[in-house]
Amino acid sequence: MSKSIVDLVDQLPTGGLTISMLKSLDFVAPGEWQNTVGFVNTIKTVTGEDDEDLIQQIGERAVYLFNDKSQGYQTALWLYQTVDGTDKALGAAALANKVGEKIPLLGFLNSVTPKPDKAQTIDLTLKLVAELVAFCQINGIPGDSIGDFVASLGEYSGESLIRMVALVCVDGLIPLGPDFISKAISGLNQTNPQELEKNSTFQNIKDVIPGNNAGSKLNFIGESFDSVKGWMNGLVSANNLTPQKVVHNLQSFADIADDKLDYLAAFLDVATNYYEHTGTQTLARRLIERAVAEI
Amino acid sequence: MILHRGRRVVAALLLSVVLLTTACTPKTPGRFDQAQKESTQQKSGQAVSKTATQGSEFNKLFPDAGDGYQRVYTQEKKGFAEAKLKKAGKDIALLSISDTTSTPSAVAKFSKSTKKIGGYPAVEVGKTQTAILVGKYQVKALSRDSSFTASDRADWLEKFNLNGLAKLK
Repeated sequence: MSKSIVDLVDQLPTGGLTISMLKSLDFVAPGEWQNTVGFVNTIKTVTGEDDEDLIQQIGERAVYLFNDKSQGYQTALWLYQTVDGTDKALGAAALANKVGEKIPLLGFLNSVTPKPDKAQTIDLTLKLVAELVAFCQINGIPGDSIGDFVASLGEYSGESLIRMVALVCVDGLIPLGPDFISKAISGLNQTNPQELEKNSTFQNIKDVIPGNNAGSKLNFIGESFDSVKGWMNGLVSANNLTPQKVVHNLQSFADIADDKLDYLAAFLDVATNYYEHTGTQTLARRLIERAVAEI
Repeated sequence: MILHRGRRVVAALLLSVVLLTTACTPKTPGRFDQAQKESTQQKSGQAVSKTATQGSEFNKLFPDAGDGYQRVYTQEKKGFAEAKLKKAGKDIALLSISDTTSTPSAVAKFSKSTKKIGGYPAVEVGKTQTAILVGKYQVKALSRDSSFTASDRADWLEKFNLNGLAKLK
């Protein structure tokens, strides 16, 4: 890992599309997510301590824990970065001078292409599996503990919760529609291991997905998604979430017509990195919570 | 003509030097740079001692939920386990057990301890923490809400199975 955890947290952005998008999803989980950035600031926010000597000790212990590969924190961060990392350059370059403005989306439609439903399904379910594996790495439970993960989803808060909200809204509802859960399940059922192998995200993260081969990894992905569908359904129904309702809230920063939702999904995919952003925040929080308890 | 070209070469060289030196100006050292440097000299095994007790051994020694508190385990690693206490859906406190084999400096603070909790040396750390030392294990209660006071922390520390912990190897 080239960057230190200190630099990664210090360099988290305070503005831009990812932040605008996450803030616009606040209506699903009001007040849950604050964009806490900066390593020392995160230590102060998480621990409630402000003694500089204590902060130094906590920070140093967190740095040690992160850099110890056997502790799994680096794997978790790598997962968050990797599932978010494909096709980024395009949108990022085009948007570099648009940050902070309302973005008329039509101009970008020439440079982004919506993915077919099956590719979108694989993306959605891989992101979910990445969350599960990262959760297990961070919290120290075996990598196939679907049950533990599902139980913990109910405890998700802050940056972890808004990440899951964004997953449901931006990678589920907008590209696949209101019945995205059943669509994803049937899409997975119609996916064979060879197709999965062709997916570049899968290629990148397959080594950490439980299973001996693409077939059993595909089964694991299916089981994971199936076990989380109740939670996702709950989130959707508790907030009466529809693609239109989500888009209405996103319109505070992106102008888009309802019949261009495929494009909106593709656009958000290339132009935001909400998994990496909130994943870094989750990781920093867990490291600091452990560090302060150990020193 | 040759002279002219020579000047251009010199100018180009000078420009490169300027660009290189400005690009390489060292940034002010950060307060965690030393820890970063030391901890990256080994790839793994430097933060947690090989002989540290597994976190699963600690889990069963945590206090039970009750009195309106919920107990939710959050991390379980080699040498460490942590749970949070919730009340009415809100995070109130964190409880943890860690093996100090990995963090010998954590033990030093107990030499100044003047009081005991549950028969073990206790110290308050910062504004939010109370710690006790049980053999080689540190047990902490950390407030995450102002309603959870130092005396609540002491009460909850006593609720751990401290005798069980003292017998752990």
